[in-house]
Amino acid sequence: MLLSATKSLLSDQLVFKGLKQGLTLFIPEEKSFAHWLEILDLQLKQAKNFFQGGAILVEIGERKLSPSEHGDLKRLLAKYRMTIKSFNPLEKKRFNPWPREIQKKEKQAEVLFFKGTVRSGQRLENDGHIVIKGDVNPGGEVVASGDIIILGALRGIAHAGARGNLQAEIIALTISPVQLRIAHIFSRTPEGREERQGPEIAHIKGEKIVVQRL
Amino acid sequence: MAGRVIVVTSGKGGVGKTTTVANIGTGLALQQKKVVMIDTDIGLRNLDVVMGMESGIIYDVVDLAEGECRSTRQSLVRNRRFKNLFLLPASQTRNKDAITPEQMREIVDELKEEFDYVLIDCPAGIERGFDNAVAAASEAIVVTIPEVPAVRDADRIIGLWLNAKEKDKEKKEPVLVLNRLRPDMVRKEEMLGVDDINHTLAIKLLGIIPEDEEIIIATNKGEPVILNQHSRAGEAFKNIVRRLEGETVPFMSFDTGIIGRFWNMLHGK
Repeated sequence: MLLSATKSLLSDQLVFKGLKQGLTLFIPEEKSFAHWLEILDLQLKQAKNFFQGGAILVEIGERKLSPSEHGDLKRLLAKYRMTIKSFNPLEKKRFNPWPREIQKKEKQAEVLFFKGTVRSGQRLENDGHIVIKGDVNPGGEVVASGDIIILGALRGIAHAGARGNLQAEIIALTISPVQLRIAHIFSRTPEGREERQGPEIAHIKGEKIVVQRL
Repeated sequence: MAGRVIVVTSGKGGVGKTTTVANIGTGLALQQKKVVMIDTDIGLRNLDVVMGMESGIIYDVVDLAEGECRSTRQSLVRNRRFKNLFLLPASQTRNKDAITPEQMREIVDELKEEFDYVLIDCPAGIERGFDNAVAAASEAIVVTIPEVPAVRDADRIIGLWLNAKEKDKEKKEPVLVLNRLRPDMVRKEEMLGVDDINHTLAIKLLGIIPEDEEIIIATNKGEPVILNQHSRAGEAFKNIVRRLEGETVPFMSFDTGIIGRFWNMLHGK
C-alpha cells in the first residue's frame, strides 16, 4: 500500500484488473462515488469495443454504498451490458486466510525498506517493520505494526506497533516529530525541546513514550 | 530537436510562481531563445498582466483546446518588445475543468516542436489545475518562500511530482527556487535559512531570489524585474536563466552589499 493515497490524486482513472476471481473494477475510497461513476461512464464509452459485457467484480474497499448508489452503478454497467458478480473480492481473501504457519513466517519476514524522503502528504504503511533511508518530513506519516527505523530525521508522524504491540520501538538519527505513537499511546514533542543529534530511541515505559539516546 | 517543457509550481499560492515564469521567460528571450509561456491558472489569470501583455489577448488556452481558433499560432500573444517571446493566456471566465490533462498534452506537444522553451505557469493547489499543468511537463521548478507552510506545501508538491515521474519516464528530477529570502532575518534566526530548506526538501537548488521591492514595482508596471539592471532580484533571475542553459553560476552572496559589509565588520568577519 505504498503511498496509495497520493498516487490516485494524479490519475483520475479507474482501473480494471484481472484477478483470480475474475475481472475486477477498482473504485477508490477517495472522492465521491458520483465522481467515479462519471469517469467510469467516460472510460467505458471510450473502450466500447474492449468490454464485450459479462459479469465483473467490483472492489470498493471500505466505502459503503447507499441503495441508490448501488442502483446507479448497476444501471451504468447494464448500459454497457455488464453485471455485477459480487463486491470486494479482496476482502474475501482476508476472510479465508492461509494456514497459520505460513502466515506467521510471512509476518516475520515482512520488512519494508524505503529509500528516499517521506514527504508531506505521503504515508508509508506496512504490516511488519519499516526501515527508511532518508528523512520523514513534517506532514509525512509512517505506520508499521512492528518497529520503525529511520536512518535520517523524523519530523513527521510515526506510529509503531500500530496493531497494539507495546514492545514496538521507533529509532531515528534525529527524533523531532510532530507526534509519536506506539500501539495506542500518543505523545507530542514537548515545546521548546532542542533537536538533538545522534541516534535516539522511542519506546514505552509504564504508560508513556520516552525518548532516549540509543 | 523538441524544446524543453518546464512547469513552475508551488502548491501554495502567492509565493511567486507567476513572477518566476515571467522573469525566466523574459530572460530566455533575452538570450535569443524562442519561448512560449502558458498560463494554466484558468479563471484567475495573471501572467498576462505581469508581462504587460493583457491588451494583446484575443483567444485563450480554452479556446484553443475547444478548437475555437483556427491554429495554435493564432491563440498566442506576441510580446511587443521581444519578438521571440509568446504567451498562451488562461481563460478568465472559465474554470480549471474546462480543459483536461490530455488536451494540455496535445497543445504542448505541438508547441514544443516550434519553441526552444515551453514554460507552464501552474495554479496553486493540487487539484485539476495542477494535473493539467504537470501532465505535459518534463521538468519542474518548485517555488517556495522561507516560511514553514510554504515549505510544507512545496514538499507535498515534490512528492506528487516524483509520483508522476515514476509513471512518466520523461520527467526529470525537480529543482527548487527559493524566493523572497531576507538575509538579515535569516541571520537573526527569524527566518528559515537556505540550509534548513535544502535539508528538508532535498532537491537541487536552481536559484535564490532575495526580497526586493523592485519586484512589486515591476509587477504593477507589467515589466519583469529581470529587465531592471539595478535590481538584486533581477540579477538572481538572470543567474537562474544561465543555470537553466547549463552554465555553472555561483550563488549570489548576500553579504557583499553595503549593509552586509557593515554587518560583517561589526561581527569581525
